[in-house]
Amino acid sequence: MQKFLSYDRGLERFNPLARVICYDDFDTGFNGWLDLTPNYVEENYESFDSVVDLSSWAPNQLSSASMRFASSHGSMEGTYSLKVTTAPTGGPHTEPPRNGSMGHAIKRLSRFGNPKLIQIEAWYSYTPVQDREGKGEEDIRAIGFFFDVQDSEYRYMPGVRYVNSLGGKLVKKWQYYQVAEGVTPEDWNFGVKDGWCVPGVDNQWYGRRFEDGSGDGYQWLPGGEQDLVYNESPDKINWMYLRLTVDIEKREYVELQSGDQVFDMRGIKPTLTEGYASIDNLINPIFFIETDSERSVNLYLDSVVYSVE
Amino acid sequence: MQTTNTSVIARRVKISDDYATLPYEAGWASEAVTFIQAEGDHPDLAIAVEVSPDGINWVRRTGATLSASQQIVDLPLAQFGNWLRVVITGATSEQPARVLVHLNLKG
Repeated sequence: MQKFLSYDRGLERFNPLARVICYDDFDTGFNGWLDLTPNYVEENYESFDSVVDLSSWAPNQLSSASMRFASSHGSMEGTYSLKVTTAPTGGPHTEPPRNGSMGHAIKRLSRFGNPKLIQIEAWYSYTPVQDREGKGEEDIRAIGFFFDVQDSEYRYMPGVRYVNSLGGKLVKKWQYYQVAEGVTPEDWNFGVKDGWCVPGVDNQWYGRRFEDGSGDGYQWLPGGEQDLVYNESPDKINWMYLRLTVDIEKREYVELQSGDQVFDMRGIKPTLTEGYASIDNLINPIFFIETDSERSVNLYLDSVVYSVE
Repeated sequence: MQTTNTSVIARRVKISDDYATLPYEAGWASEAVTFIQAEGDHPDLAIAVEVSPDGINWVRRTGATLSASQQIVDLPLAQFGNWLRVVITGATSEQPARVLVHLNLKG
């Protein structure tokens, strides 16, 4: 069959790989991006034992980015973005994430087209709620993205985290998902024996966190300093570009692109774990945001492209 | 075809004091229905849906009671602008409640 593909003009602001699997513009709805929740499969529909309350994350919303004194900000093209938000419950950055202190948006996909590379791209912005005086940039601890991947042998989570602020002090450096040497399952699960998540699974919640912002599940990206745009006030958002490309044949990172800055990640590997039951070929992209204080913070996703090659 | 979405805006939250869900942007929808459930024993709970110009300052719009003998109550709402939240009062440390709140939007 001879095919003629006409690409949506909206893809002009992306650099997708050969095959676009999803192009999600949130002016058309949630597009299958949903809240991240645990498995309610135990007695009385309870979940597994966890120090981090995985039921507590705030609901994702289709947002017009309505601001207190300004107006509706709208999205990059159109009215709506996907807002990933938090409760005003940030705790010390050396402790496990507190109830509601993070927000996540996940899309549940699976492998198709026998790809060597998978890639996520997004146009996004972030800001705190303008519920108090001041600039507010220091109240956003981090934003991040990761893939949950399982192939015929391993489950692994290649991801990146922009550490914006820790304890009210701006940091502005990228990290990537990789577990440090010698981390035990008990370390990872904050003391819970036989926790559901092994080291290398769900780094955004598990693994000890240290004073300098490093953690069992996060490594600093060499040369990863970057001053992302924060436009002087909680009610002004500027749309920024993010791309993460992963080689799922070699099971290693390829590149992180943030704005026009490209970080070569070849040779860096995510942590491989034994595959979980029944999820071979799963590929889930996940975005998240963390608050650094007792203030809600928002990650706005204008549009997202998932492509493979 | 219309768009519809159901968000869980309070997911099995154990409350022992006045409680409000987080501000929720619903401006894309023209109608909303909230469903408030209590899991297990609970006291009489006063339920209110509130609207807001900015997600920070709130105005009470409509209310209902989820009595101790009831498990679920619903509250429909139209012409709500953009921001919504649900406020639940009546739980105490002596008589707590575990609440599950759904927000269905359509438009």
